[in-house]
Amino acid sequence: MSANYEPNIVAFLCNWCSYAGADLAGTSRVSYPANIQIIRVMCSGRVNPLYVMNALQQGADGVLVSGCHPGDCHYMEGNYYARRRLGMLKDLMEFVGVDPKRFHMSWVSASEGHKWKEVVEKTVEDAKEAGPFEGFRRRQIDW
Amino acid sequence: MDLELLRKTAAEVAARDDVKYLLGWKQGTYGYRVAPAFVEDAAGAAELIFSPLCTANLATYLTLVEQLPVPRGEEPDNRKVALMVKGCDSRAVTQLLVEKGIERDEVVVIGCPCPGVVDSALLAEKYPETEEPAEMKWDGEDFLLTRNGEETKIPRDELLAEKCRLCRYPNPVVSDEMLGDPVETWEPGEDKGVEEVEARDVDSRWEYWMEEFDKCVRCYSCRNVCPLCYCQDCILDRLNPTWVNRSVNFSENTAFNIARAFHLAGRCIECGECERVCPANIPLGKINRKLARDVRDKYGFEPGVDPEAEPFQASYKPDDPEDFIL
Repeated sequence: MSANYEPNIVAFLCNWCSYAGADLAGTSRVSYPANIQIIRVMCSGRVNPLYVMNALQQGADGVLVSGCHPGDCHYMEGNYYARRRLGMLKDLMEFVGVDPKRFHMSWVSASEGHKWKEVVEKTVEDAKEAGPFEGFRRRQIDW
Repeated sequence: MDLELLRKTAAEVAARDDVKYLLGWKQGTYGYRVAPAFVEDAAGAAELIFSPLCTANLATYLTLVEQLPVPRGEEPDNRKVALMVKGCDSRAVTQLLVEKGIERDEVVVIGCPCPGVVDSALLAEKYPETEEPAEMKWDGEDFLLTRNGEETKIPRDELLAEKCRLCRYPNPVVSDEMLGDPVETWEPGEDKGVEEVEARDVDSRWEYWMEEFDKCVRCYSCRNVCPLCYCQDCILDRLNPTWVNRSVNFSENTAFNIARAFHLAGRCIECGECERVCPANIPLGKINRKLARDVRDKYGFEPGVDPEAEPFQASYKPDDPEDFIL
């Protein structure tokens, strides 16, 4: 791993809170690392665990899933399901030997532009520590 | 286990008008083989056995049976299926009831209290298989093996399957008829296999599973034998979108195995069938038991015990653990 290694991170953001939060970070001119590739989903409960696996297989070094705070979900309970499922996925990946630093989940509301920055910084920092995830690549993909 | 009682009960149940057939175990054609038996009459019932060799989980057949379209003008056959279950199998039935995979009035469950079955791979390794069908019995704390006419007494601990060592439900949790008295439950003991993997650091766990998953030939036996893998449209068979690629390489094998294990999180009832049928001897039981333990410890949920429960992944509690969330 070279000294100026930059990880690729895929972030699944829910349309109603985290995506708006990231948008707010942008309009507020908050600067955060540019390693994040954002994919907007309607709800964090929509994130299938296989999306996470596929992202890692196709070249991501880290994955972030972010949704509304518990109780704030636009669909009432989607983030509760996400928390349960992705919590299990994190346990499972850890057991199989995927560094837990590669997968993060966070709650970012539409008004938390600054929290979004912190979350991204932490995710990127962790992914840098974990290094490139070459072992799991489907094939060589140039980003 | 009283075979007389078993065969008598089976014959009675199979003779019922509302029962299509009864699923049980019968002696296989050679060695330690035990075959599933589809019993429709008293003659079939006389062949049934229940021994430490009856490892197969017959609950698989409830959902495996092909549902052919009913020809025009004919009535669908709505008769029940009778099924012999061990403790673990009965949990599969319960979990199927929870998920509405089957309805309670579609099955007749005949419970067999089970003092623990053998690890068939270990048995064949220590006591080579014979051409003649061999028999096995429970004899107090031991197994009594009869092959080529000679009897061998084997201590229970020597051959007991790992899943049985860790079993907490040796008696069926759901049954219409119970054969004999419930057996005494035993202390599950430490799950050494899982703990050994957990004790390693992340990189060495990855190495361990890399070696194991590399052996996978993607035969999908683990899926086919699993009583709870019964989706008619499985993601593994789908090409559009391709959730899991079909190529056999480490990346896809790992994705497949993680997907398979994840789909059983909070559903696996630890019958150990996937591990038993795996031609590559991948310790799938370790992953399943680890997930089952996490579900139990962290979420206080146990699949296949309460038929009224909500499915684990289709429910939530507001106070689920969220210490992993940033």
